[in-house]
Amino acid sequence: MEIVNKRTLDEIDSVLEFAKLGRDEIKSVTQSIYFSEQLDSEGIKLLELDTAVLTALENGERVIIRGDKEDSAVLCTESETFEVKLGEVSNALLIVPDMTLGSELTDTLLPSIQYQQVNSVMHTFYELRKMKPRLQKLRSLLEENPYAGQAAEGDVDHQGTKYTFNELLNLVQGSEREIKIALEKMQAIVIDGYWRVLDFDFLVQVMSHLLQLCDENSWLDQGIPIQECLSVLQDIFPRTVIEHVLKNFADKITPATGKDDDEKHMQIDIDYYRLNEDKVCRFFAEQILKHARKFNLSQFLSTWEKSVPDGMKTSVSQLEGIALIDRDSNPEVISYMTVDTLPEEISERFNHLFRIREKWSLPEITPYIKDLTTDKMDVTAMLTKSFKNTQYWFSSGNGLGDCFCNLKDFDAIVLI
Amino acid sequence: MIELQGTLETRNPIPFSGRFIGDLHFTHKDVPILIIGHHILYGKVVTLEKPYGILVKDAEVTDRAPGAGQTSYTIRAVIRKKLLFKTRPKPIIANVPKKV
Repeated sequence: MEIVNKRTLDEIDSVLEFAKLGRDEIKSVTQSIYFSEQLDSEGIKLLELDTAVLTALENGERVIIRGDKEDSAVLCTESETFEVKLGEVSNALLIVPDMTLGSELTDTLLPSIQYQQVNSVMHTFYELRKMKPRLQKLRSLLEENPYAGQAAEGDVDHQGTKYTFNELLNLVQGSEREIKIALEKMQAIVIDGYWRVLDFDFLVQVMSHLLQLCDENSWLDQGIPIQECLSVLQDIFPRTVIEHVLKNFADKITPATGKDDDEKHMQIDIDYYRLNEDKVCRFFAEQILKHARKFNLSQFLSTWEKSVPDGMKTSVSQLEGIALIDRDSNPEVISYMTVDTLPEEISERFNHLFRIREKWSLPEITPYIKDLTTDKMDVTAMLTKSFKNTQYWFSSGNGLGDCFCNLKDFDAIVLI
Repeated sequence: MIELQGTLETRNPIPFSGRFIGDLHFTHKDVPILIIGHHILYGKVVTLEKPYGILVKDAEVTDRAPGAGQTSYTIRAVIRKKLLFKTRPKPIIANVPKKV
């Protein structure tokens, strides 16, 4: 290290004398600090490291900063997403790489000097704030080219871009794990290495074939023997699609052992799936709702009841998150509304919801905001936080059942 | 890391390349004392709640190498503690005659 005019002990001693600081009061080693010849404050960045990020780095995980030019930067570990913000300090932060702390100094008999350099003087740093990943883009990317069967792949409507997992990672501001979870929730599927969402009408076709087959073989009671089912349907639809549909609409069951009735006894070494009543009924409701968007409630309920497979029962609880029921109107109506297309940001979400409807009870609004909850903020906390500074009116009418918020006794919120 | 309150002479660092700043002493109780110019600054060792990583940009990857076109940073160091100094006006008189 080249230092011109190196400081001497004499010079240090005279300053100590002037400062009235005795040698007996201090440790023997003095560090004389200089600005480096290659002082560079632009070439480095300071990043405040959250515990999760530091741990990830120490474990050798990939930590990536993602975002298009128009997005604000986001830092992702393998499982968490953080907003990156620039912070300014009025103090000067001097970076001295080899500085020794007092506790680390070995006291020597005679006074000595260590020469230290300041490499950078920083006034800004980057801080991280944990956030929910921005996943709406994921859905819109996948909807550029939904899968509608092999035959349709070549046609004019299916020339949109298809994305591999790595391509999605580059475009979506979220961690790998969070994106994988979102893909599952969206019921996306990998076909030929690309992540796709199934075109709804195509899904309807697959389901109707499956249900017909179940009906012909009485599989609705006994359970669907998976290999047999696949061998029949794979001539019509790709195997992966059938497996995907079974996974999302049916539950794997273990055959009962030691039953008396041999006829109904399932074979032990075959895998079975049983269709999930709630999921299937919900699917039929969606089919109906998607067509007309808004329905007379009683008409809808009877149509729906008739449409589901024999032996399955419909229930309003199956409609949570996909339909909104208005019991104040005459006649009562039901409309199609899914949480997937709602704004991701909390205040925008509430603005949107209250534009659609003036009054919400807690059980009505919960399905449309619970995707925004975090470990630090549940639904009640979210509501309290968002309505703290707004004029609100509580209605204590009996409304729609027993929904009492545990903070206050109200069951409806009106935004004035 | 040394954090200095106030601006001192570090406002325009570029002309100061290579220049001497001050002497850093530690008391027997490990309290840091910094003497800069006419000031004697008493400080304390602070453990950072969130450590700072010092990020340095890696050299651009050439076209043929894997990972081309991606920018990467290496964390050269993690700063977990800093010396925080507040000024205390204590003049150091420069021309006190040396004792004979």
